[in-house]
Parts: sequence; structure tokens; C-alpha cells
Amino acid sequence: MRLLGLAARRLAASLPALLLILIGLFLLLQLAPGDTVDALMAQMGGGDERIATELRVFYGLDLSVPARLGQYLLRLVQLDLGYSAIYGKPVATVILERLPATLLLMTASLSFAFAFGAVLGVVAARRVNRWPDTLISTLGLIFYATPSFWFGLMAIVVFSVHLQWLPAGGFGDVALGLTGFAAVLDIAKHLVLPTLTLALIYLAISLRIMRAAMLEVLTLDFVRTARAKGLTETRVVARHVLRNALLPMITLIGLQVGTMLGGSVVVESVFTLPGLGRLAYESVVQRDLNTLLGIAFVSALLVIAANFIVDMLYARLDPRISSGG
Amino acid sequence: MQFLRAYARNPAALIGAALVLAVLAMGLLAPLLYPGDPLSLAGRPLQWPGANPRFPLGTDPSGRDIAAQLFHGARVSLLIGFSATAIAVVIGIGIGALAGFYGGIVDTLLMRVTEAFQTLPNFLLLLVLVAVFGSDIKTVTIAIGIVAWPPVARLTRAEFLSLRTRDFVQACRLQGLSDAHLILREVLPNALPPVIVYASVVMAIAILLESALAFLQLSDPNVSSWGNLIGLGRNVLRAEWYVSAIPGIAILLTILGVSLVGQGLNDALNPRLAGR
Amino acid sequence: MNGPTRREALLLAASAIAAPGFTAMPAFAQETPKRGGVMTVHFATEQRILNPSLQASTGVYIVGGKIQEPLVDLDSAGNPSPVLAESWESSADGKTITFRLRQGVTWHDGKPFTSADVQFTAMEMWKKILNYSTALQQFLTAVDTPDAHTAVFRYERPMPLGLLLRALPDLGYVSPKHIYEGTDIRANPANTAPIGTGPFKFVQYERGQFIIAERNPTYWRPNLPYLDRIVWRVVTDRSAAAAQMEAGQILFSPYSSLTIADSQRLGRDPRFEVTTRGNEGNARTNTLEFNFRRTELADVRVRRAIAHAINIPFFIENFLGDFAKPGTGPIPSVSTDYYPGADVPQYGFDKAAANRLLDEAGFRRGAGGLRFTLRLTPAPWGEDIALFSTYIQQSLSEVGIRIEIVRLDAAGFLRTVYREHDFDLATGWHQYRSDPAVSTTVWYRSGSPVGAPWTNQFGWQNDAADKLMDDAATEVDPVKRRALYADFVRLVQTELPVWMPIEQLFLSTFNKKLKNTGNNPRWASSSWHDTWLDS
Repeated sequence: MRLLGLAARRLAASLPALLLILIGLFLLLQLAPGDTVDALMAQMGGGDERIATELRVFYGLDLSVPARLGQYLLRLVQLDLGYSAIYGKPVATVILERLPATLLLMTASLSFAFAFGAVLGVVAARRVNRWPDTLISTLGLIFYATPSFWFGLMAIVVFSVHLQWLPAGGFGDVALGLTGFAAVLDIAKHLVLPTLTLALIYLAISLRIMRAAMLEVLTLDFVRTARAKGLTETRVVARHVLRNALLPMITLIGLQVGTMLGGSVVVESVFTLPGLGRLAYESVVQRDLNTLLGIAFVSALLVIAANFIVDMLYARLDPRISSGG
Repeated sequence: MQFLRAYARNPAALIGAALVLAVLAMGLLAPLLYPGDPLSLAGRPLQWPGANPRFPLGTDPSGRDIAAQLFHGARVSLLIGFSATAIAVVIGIGIGALAGFYGGIVDTLLMRVTEAFQTLPNFLLLLVLVAVFGSDIKTVTIAIGIVAWPPVARLTRAEFLSLRTRDFVQACRLQGLSDAHLILREVLPNALPPVIVYASVVMAIAILLESALAFLQLSDPNVSSWGNLIGLGRNVLRAEWYVSAIPGIAILLTILGVSLVGQGLNDALNPRLAGR
Repeated sequence: MNGPTRREALLLAASAIAAPGFTAMPAFAQETPKRGGVMTVHFATEQRILNPSLQASTGVYIVGGKIQEPLVDLDSAGNPSPVLAESWESSADGKTITFRLRQGVTWHDGKPFTSADVQFTAMEMWKKILNYSTALQQFLTAVDTPDAHTAVFRYERPMPLGLLLRALPDLGYVSPKHIYEGTDIRANPANTAPIGTGPFKFVQYERGQFIIAERNPTYWRPNLPYLDRIVWRVVTDRSAAAAQMEAGQILFSPYSSLTIADSQRLGRDPRFEVTTRGNEGNARTNTLEFNFRRTELADVRVRRAIAHAINIPFFIENFLGDFAKPGTGPIPSVSTDYYPGADVPQYGFDKAAANRLLDEAGFRRGAGGLRFTLRLTPAPWGEDIALFSTYIQQSLSEVGIRIEIVRLDAAGFLRTVYREHDFDLATGWHQYRSDPAVSTTVWYRSGSPVGAPWTNQFGWQNDAADKLMDDAATEVDPVKRRALYADFVRLVQTELPVWMPIEQLFLSTFNKKLKNTGNNPRWASSSWHDTWLDS
């Protein structure tokens, strides 16, 4: 109950920002050259003026900007995201269809970055200023500096074109008609390269943070005490160090969820994944205002939720911080 | 002097400086080594590197010299990097300084705006801005600056919050100095060093954002940019992968250099933390 | 506006019934068709609608054309052949056209197909919603249904039978009345889950991933189709699609959806066939559109100079490969009935001539050899358009014209060029549809409403040209009509308001395991009832 109350309060605090985003994007898109009917006409390969006019009426584009904005907000209050002009379906349905791929990709990437970053960071810190540290830190710097889409392209060249180990794109092989475990395995195979690509920069950041946090924690009194008490070093690391080093890592995740959604636009487009990122790109190009606003809304909620969870975890991991703050 | 010496003691920082200088040199030498338009038709399209001695790095799908584009692209990347960073830093410092200095309602309002910008994925906003305002190089640079400022604002605000209660600021206040004087002359200089260090991160992000836009064919096609080249190479990736590979390495090395310099600056400013 | 309506143009173009540029299909060694198998198809752009009675575009036909059927289709020789209509006849005055419909055909949901479906579709969809068809059917007043298997089309003005039959393969798909009647047609769920009479039944459309259709066991053609399933895989990235072709995950990629480099590579691979076969009904030319609101471009010498400065054969050889050839004007060479030959003014590559013409026009080179700067707005579809725009930029810089490429997405392109006229040069495609009067002369006819895409929005007006177009559109004698179009081409090649220097057909990429492919001039759009898969 307390958690729900906190969540509600957090959501309420984020409302102004949310409103600002939606109104801002709505007004911004009005300035774009062409509207969704122009995009539709391009898709149709032509048609006369009457059809264009009728379509504009059908999609409510003949109304004034304030009237449409008012309508949109009114519907939003009733949790109705509206109807997508390009997809011919309710926006909520369109987004729900695309959400799983993105969530899967983001979770997989974060877990991978987090886990490997932690391992590499710990190894580097334990061998500080020796060759494993140098190697890992250098790798981290290179990962950080690699443009993700370029890494993705090169991974396709190596693993899909030359070695033919992994598929070059897509989310699963429908034609095979797989079910059950085989289908899961198939999706996993398709997600390996995208996950690596999206995870790269977060791996670099997380290993850097982990290494620094480790080094700092290793100098703290209680770790020395633990060592003095005769606990083995592994247990010290496991018990105390990791637990404290996790704090900055979790903060990082909270900060990066938004960036990650942005990054998934590029990664999904490299690997042609049917995710939210590519949907966002398509809806910008197609001037599909409702869908774009819906995505902004959902991703903002995701960011807010992620930050909320991070705060909760934070309170859990560090008793000094009260969860009320 | 002491700062320089601290910086020079750090080999990674020196490598970074060397990389940045090398890119800078590429940009400066471009008009000398490759006079003329790097986008002009140089020869048959898609010649492999080394296949024709005239084109050591080959030609792209439009028959343009990749080496020439690489050198001229250094100018573009650095120009976009510096300009977008300057824009982001100016906006960020402005908003952060006002919010941190005045606090209260000003702070709340400005931070709400910042929050809104941070809640929306920045690349998404960038896509919208470019779709709306066009994709010439100026627009792209300004758009990148517009999406990259929020962390700078937060950092500046935090510095201002901690500095504004310090004795020297209070003393100035008592002397009746104007707010503008306090902000610009007294607080800002002290708040600046961490912001400058962070600017290297912004610059790396700016270069990456431009290349990602270009990769999606949303950047300016009239300039020779590394990202444009990667995007063009995508169509011929399976056979002529070098078109994408070469400019990618250039971007990688540039960002590596910029972040090493940033790290070196940071270490030199905080000697206590060096070596971490 | 006083130009001919599109329908009048269509009407009087009726003499062109034979498919242009289209001779009998090469005979294949007869193999015994095998049953079963899944045909996987590359689906390059997401569609809002899959019902071809509501939207006429290749992206719809590639799916909807297997599920729903038209009254008539084209046979392998390019002649109308019966599908849902078994026979047809026209009254002497051309105002009444009677279709005898096939009996014993059922919709995929089991309901019988009757003349009421044809009546409903014609009046509510073809006449009101379907693009290109609204103009064709604007004088359709009623469809009578004396019995369940007869549909009588009544027209206010004569409708030549030949023209209608020529148009119906694309614009004559029938939808079920019982699904659509009394609903908001544009928002009907069947638009994305179509119900038809075709050889394949719609199963599922997973946005961004795939569409599935399965064999219709009660299809009216006995023992057909051969295939068990068709799966359309949504692959928006061209290189990824080529990779999936090679991996055997896709067996057919239609409508030039692969990159030029990949098409050439796959064409050399014995497993695949890359061909224009089966796309003869769909020719296009690349355009260079001049905005006459720019004083420089209003001077014909400048337009000619620009054409002279661009080396088209070089561009085709080095950038487009074997799949294109130099164009000689707005009417492509595949249009055998109206192609006037290359004996009309042409602008071969001649840099000296270009420079001389520009000097004569008074635009001498200034500082840095620059004469003036133009903005070039390329259409965002088609790799060849992007390559061509870069090549134009490169070529014109040689004669002192600096080109700034303005990159816009589809919506921005249509709005900026055809509605706001905010461009200097634009480049894209002109689609030639069977007859010059359908979608070709609109590029030149003055008086087109502002905002109509792919029409004369250039600020060019020439009374002689307008008269030639109007006369040709109302000329019934095929010989005279051909002569009028030859004069028209000669005139617009002289004045050059739009330059159409490259001619192309769409490319199909087949895995050779697929059999009976490309055996009619709109094969990618057709029903694939006789297509089979060699295991």
C-alpha cells in the first residue's frame, strides 16, 4: 500500500513534465512540412484532391490546432491514446504490439551490460594497474567510443555474412512456424547481435563505475575490518563490496533508460526489429501524430517507472536513505 | 603549469590529446591534401581500397574518394562537435545557473522543463526536430545542442546550489553587487571546471548523435560527414563493407580521443582521484 | 481549371487495349507442378490497408491480390481474362456494360459471392474511395442486379469496354457486401484482415513482422492453388532482405525492393533470377523537374544546358547497371503504341554546349567559377533517386552550378514540391500506366489543382502543348492519336519543362525454386494461383 502511495505521488510529481512533453511535441509537429495525409498519398502512389480532402476530414485534420490539441488531451485523460492514421488501428494496440521487442531488447542489454560490467569491473579493480586492468579499461574506453549502429553493421558483416552464425535481422523466423522452446530459442538467436550492440556503451559505463566503486569500497574501514576478521577475500567482495558498488550502477540505469530508448531507434533500424524505437522513427516520417505522442507518453512512463524502481532499490540497498525522499 | 604537468603525467590523457590533435590536423590539412569538393565524382564507384593507387581508401557508391571525404569529414565532425557542445553548454549553464542561484519558483519551473527534456528520449526529440526544421548542417547542429543540454544544466545547478551559500558570495551580496555580477563574475568561474570536464562528454555525444542521424539518412547530404558515409555504405554492406568500416573507425578514434582528454582533464583537476 | 478530367482522358485512350511493350511470354519447359510448401515474400513497406478495392498501390496488391479477386485479370499475352466475371458485353451506345459473374464462388467466410457484392463494391468503393478509380468511375450512375449472377453497369457517358477491361485488373477487386454494408468502410476491421474469394485465405497480420495467408481449400479453380501458405515477411531494410533471400528465408522480392548492389550480386548467383519479367505493365522514368518560378530555370537555354551537363549513359552504366536505359521522353519505349522513337530532341552529354548555353543565357561564371546555386529536392523513395541526385550535384558543379540537396521525407517532399512549390529542381519517378493520358500528360497539362502530386506544378504553361494533349485525349483514331502524341513529345522535349532521361521497369528477384513466376504483365500483383514450389 505504502509503495502504491509512493508510486502515485511520484507519478503526480511527473505530470507537469509529461504534459509539457505532449503539448510541446504536438505543437512542434504542426510546424512539420506535410501531414499524415501527404504521407498516405505517397504510400498510395497518388490520388485526386477529393480523396485527400476526405481523408483529412476522416482523420480530423480539418479542425484547428487548439481544437485538436484539446480533443487529444481530453481523450488522454480518459486514457485513450487515439487512432493511428498510418496503421489504421488504435494507437494503444499498435504500441502494445511493438512494446515486447523493445522491452526484451532493453532488459537483455541492461542485464548483459550490468552482469559483464560487474565482472569485468571487479576483475580490473582486483588487478588494479596491472595488465588485466589495463586491458579491460582500454576495452571499456573503446566500447564507449564505438558508435552503436556501426558496431551493429560490422557485427552483421562478421557474424551474419561471413561466419553465418547469427541472423542479420528480424525478430524470429515466422516461416518456420516454430512453437514452444524452439520459438524462444529462435527469438534468442535473433536478439544476440542487437543486444550486444545496444549493450556496448552501457557495458563500458558500468564496468567503469564498477571498477571505481570497487576501488573506493576496498579502502573503506569495514572492508579492512572484515579482512582482519579473517574472512576470505572472495566473501568480502561478495558480501560488502558488491552491495555498495551496486548503488551507483543502479543510479546509472535510472539515468540511462531514456537514452536507451533513443538508442533502440538506431539499433532496431539496423537489425529491423519490430520495436518501439523503429515505430517512433516511422511515425515521425509518416507524421502519425497520435502514434508519436503515444510513444512519447509510454516511454516517459517507462522512464518515470524506472526511476521510481531505482529509488526503491536504492532505499533497500542503502538503509541510510529513507524511501520517502 | 601544475595542471599541465599533472595532465602530462597521465599517458592515457596524452594519447587522447594526440588523437584529438590528429583529427584536428586532418581537418586542417584537408583543403591542402584534397583540394576541391570531396563530394565530386572522382572515379568509378565502389573501388576497393588499394585497387586503384589514386584512391588509397577506395571510392564510395557515388564514386567519391573516401580518403578525401574522411579528411573533410574530420572538419565536419569537429565543427558539429564543438558548435553543438557550445550551444548545449551555454543553454545548460544559463538554465542551471538561474535555477541554482535563485532557487524557489524559478528553480522549480526550470527544473520541470529540464525534467521534461530528460524524460523524453533525446534521440526521439532530435528526430522530430530534424523532420520539422530540415536537415541542413546548421539545423542539425542546433538541434543536437537543444537535446544535449539538460545534464549540463543539472550539473551547473548543483554547483550553484552549493556555492551560493559560501562566504565569498555572501560577502559580495553585502557589498550590494548586482545579481548578474554575482552569477557571472563570482559564482560561475568557480562552478565552471566540472562543467568544462563534462563538456567533453557532451562533445562525444554530439558527434555520435550526428553520425546516427546521418546513418538514418537524416543529416545534411551536402557536407562530407563520416556518418553520411556509413549510411551510404549500408546499401553495399555485404560486399563492400569497407565503405562503412573506414569512417566508423574514424568516429571511434575521435570519440576515444575526446573522452580520454576529458578524463585527463578531470584527473588533473582532481589529483586525489587520479589513477582510479 | 479547363483541362480534360482524368476520366475523359482515360475514356478516349480506349484504343490502347493491348498491353504495351509486351509480347507473348517465353514458353517454359513444362514441369509437373508439385503441391504444398510455403512461399515467403519480401514485404518492404507496412500498409494501412490490405484491401485492394480501397487502395490501388503495389504494396496492397502484393498481399490483397492473393486474397481478393478482380472481375478480370490479364493473361500471359496481356489480354483481359475472366476471373470473377466470366463474360462481358457492352451496349451499342457504350453506356451499359453487362458482366456475367462466375457461379458457385464463395467468400472465405462461406457466404456466396453474388452480383450484390459487385454492386456494393462498385458504388461504395470504386466510385467513392479507391484512388485512380474515383476518376475512372465518376460517371457510373448505377449497377443493376437483375439476378444474382449478372451485374449491369450503367454510365452517364459512354464507357469504352476496352478501357474498362484494361483498368479492372487493378481497379476491379471485389469486396464482400455483408462485411462492409452499414459500417464505416474506412475503419472496417476487414481492411487489415481481408475476406475475399481468392486462392488464399487471410490468417494473420503481425505489424512489423509478418502476414500469413493459407490455401483456400474451396477455391473455385479446381485443385488450385498449389501452395499451402504464403508468408510475407516485413523487412524494411533492403540489405537485410537480400540476406534473407540468400538464406532462403525469402523466396521472392518484388518491385525493386533490394539495393542495386544486392540485385546485381544476386543476379550473378545461379540460385536466383533477377528480372523485369512480369513487370511489363509498370514502367517508370526518372524525372528532373524544373521550377519556372526561378528566373534562371524559366530560360529554356538553362534547362537544356542542365540536361547537356549530365552524362546519362555514364550514370546508368556505373550506378544503375543493366536494369535501366536512357529515356528519350515522357512516353517510355515499352509503350509500343505511343512510343514516338528517339527521333525527338535529345540532350546528349556535351559540357561545352552546356557552358555555351549558360553563357548565352547571361549567367556567366562569377567568383570561384560559380554561376548560380540551385536547391535540388529528391523524392525519398528509391535508391536510384538518391544516387541520381548526387550525380546531378556532381555534374552541375562542373558547369558552374552549385547544387544544394534538400533532404525531405515523403510527406515533406509532396507538400514542399507540389503544394508549396518551394523548390528549384526536384527529382523522382514518373509512373507510366498503359496510356499517356492516364498519368503522363498530367505532368505537362497546365491548370492542375495546387497540391496534386505528380502533376504540372512547375509554373509552366504552353497552349500548344495543352491543345495537343487535349486533342490526343479526344482522338478516337489510333493512327492520328499516335501522331498527336509524337508531336506532344517533340514539343515537350524542345521546351523541356520536365526532363525524363532514364527509363526503368521494376525488378523482381526470384528464388529459382519458385515456378510459374512472372507469367503475366502484373505478376507480383496477381493471384499466384498457379505458382508452385520445387522442393
